[in-house]
Amino acid sequence: MHLLIEAIGFGVASGAVLALGAVGFTLQFGISNVLNITYGSLMTLAAFLGVFLLGLGLNVWLVMALGGLLIGLASVALNRGLLAPLMRRGLQPFGLIIVTVSAGIVIQYVIVAVAGPSTLSYGNLSGATLHFLGWTLTTAQVVILVVALVLMAGLHVLLTRTQLGRAMRATSSNRTLARSCGIATGRIGDIAWFLSGTFCGMAGIALAITIESFDFTLGSIFLIPIIAAAVLGGVGQPYGAMVGGLVVGIVSQVSAAYWSPSYENVVALAMLIVMLLVRPRGLFGANSSSRKLLA
Amino acid sequence: MSGIEFYVVVLLVYLGTDLLAAWGLNLEYGISGVANLAFIVVIAAGAYTYAILSLGPDSGNGGFQLYVIGLQLPFAVAVIAAAVVGAVVGVLIGVTGLKRIRQDYQGMVMLVISLMAVTVVGADTGFLNGQAGLSLIPNPFSSLSPVVGDWTYVAMVGVACVIGFFVMKRFTGGPMGRALRAMRDDEHAVAALGFSVVRLRLMSQAVGGAFGGVSGALLAAFIGGWSPGAWAYVETLALLTAIIVGGMGNDMGVSLGTFVIAVLLLQGVQFLPQISSHTGLTEALGWIILGVLTITFLWVRPQGIFKERRPFYRSPSGSDRPSPGDSGTGRVAAPPA
Repeated sequence: MHLLIEAIGFGVASGAVLALGAVGFTLQFGISNVLNITYGSLMTLAAFLGVFLLGLGLNVWLVMALGGLLIGLASVALNRGLLAPLMRRGLQPFGLIIVTVSAGIVIQYVIVAVAGPSTLSYGNLSGATLHFLGWTLTTAQVVILVVALVLMAGLHVLLTRTQLGRAMRATSSNRTLARSCGIATGRIGDIAWFLSGTFCGMAGIALAITIESFDFTLGSIFLIPIIAAAVLGGVGQPYGAMVGGLVVGIVSQVSAAYWSPSYENVVALAMLIVMLLVRPRGLFGANSSSRKLLA
Repeated sequence: MSGIEFYVVVLLVYLGTDLLAAWGLNLEYGISGVANLAFIVVIAAGAYTYAILSLGPDSGNGGFQLYVIGLQLPFAVAVIAAAVVGAVVGVLIGVTGLKRIRQDYQGMVMLVISLMAVTVVGADTGFLNGQAGLSLIPNPFSSLSPVVGDWTYVAMVGVACVIGFFVMKRFTGGPMGRALRAMRDDEHAVAALGFSVVRLRLMSQAVGGAFGGVSGALLAAFIGGWSPGAWAYVETLALLTAIIVGGMGNDMGVSLGTFVIAVLLLQGVQFLPQISSHTGLTEALGWIILGVLTITFLWVRPQGIFKERRPFYRSPSGSDRPSPGDSGTGRVAAPPA
């Protein structure tokens, strides 16, 4: 029982990072209707940029914020420079996913070319160990958890209480209709990509903070549970991604505790496949978004 | 055998096995429109099957590697088994794509499957010796002198390619090829005509998987080793780029694309001088060029260098008319208006 509670604690901590990543991923799908596989490499890029920024002596939480902003800009560039023009030229969804996979590979191997294939580490940033509710978490994990909660609460307020948020939801739901209502979908798209890119960058740096060491494969490894979380919650549904991240995190950690640590991601994959075969639109997938996914 | 001669042997074997793999993937994606981003898994399945069937029990050679089975079967049997296992794994992967979801969503699932397969095999040290992989995989011609043995291997790969070519032609030409292409272009029309889309899809994945399995087996037997490092998810993209660049659905195009990408590009970068301060730079450069090539071709010429040839039908009055339908790029880019 004690093991279970501890595992749930680890699950909540890792779930927070996964939720951050999944929310960004799902926002990009909601706004542009593209499954952006480059997301993983952008997380890796954030982690590596973090090494450089930490080397300049900046505080690690400032680095997380900065990294987020930089990747936000990179995401806007990706959309404006690559994805949106290709979509205008009539590239079908499968062609787009090949493009995002290719772009991801280019970014990943540019990282290798510049920083080399060896593993890097942020060093021991964990801080003191805290015990509460039967959980054992490091200070760093708790800070990340709090940051994630604050960001998601902020996103909720943005989406529900602001004009921008309403415009984003409208564009996500039906782009053409939103446009004919006078919403500048291009600009809204840029903002959405910036926001989701920020989540991506922060998730990447949060991952680098919590794991001992990483190399250029960081993004592609963690893309699996992030995609699983996004699909579980329903692609295009930010609240679904938050719940999905938490569920994937907890289930992965509990199975790692009771079964074997190396199989964490296998459980995430199994959930993804089952979800796909049984209910592709995810737990929270509304009918409008599920129409986008069906052939 | 001089270094150059051996390198030529290696290139020819790589070309042969990559051709078999590319033809398999072309059958699945170029002809049948199945978004199989997990193709490398069937190649790996074939390689591992060959390895564990042709190696002896794992206690041999000092017991330094742990794996299942180990029957020391002869070469031909092990290769055929590799083809069968490749087909089965292909069908299993294909089952996940049967649900009526968008093609890129399916592709993403298969990509995740591919990532996962590497992780699972790498993590379990007792199944296929984990990250270290299997080595000392028997080469059927090891009893011959190195020069004769190597060139005999090249000849055998050549024979396999010739056989594979004819098998592929039977599938891509004729009624089967037409049914598969029709399924790619419009699933509902094909279903309305009475074809079972499920059966066609799974069949193309089985045959494609068999091609991949043989390719993997031949590669593993030649190299003598096989580990998770050899089949990362990017390898599928290399084959996919070869198909896209060369021309999807066009047999010659795919073959040319494979030669350009798998041989010229990915091998060619090995010739660039290594910069000592940046190890792995040349290999990374190869992958960067690959990614940029894919994006460029999808942007500028999605049909590839050699477009798919649509059949021309002669009308009874004697005038030639091209068959109706799109230019063959419908799955990747919208048909020209």
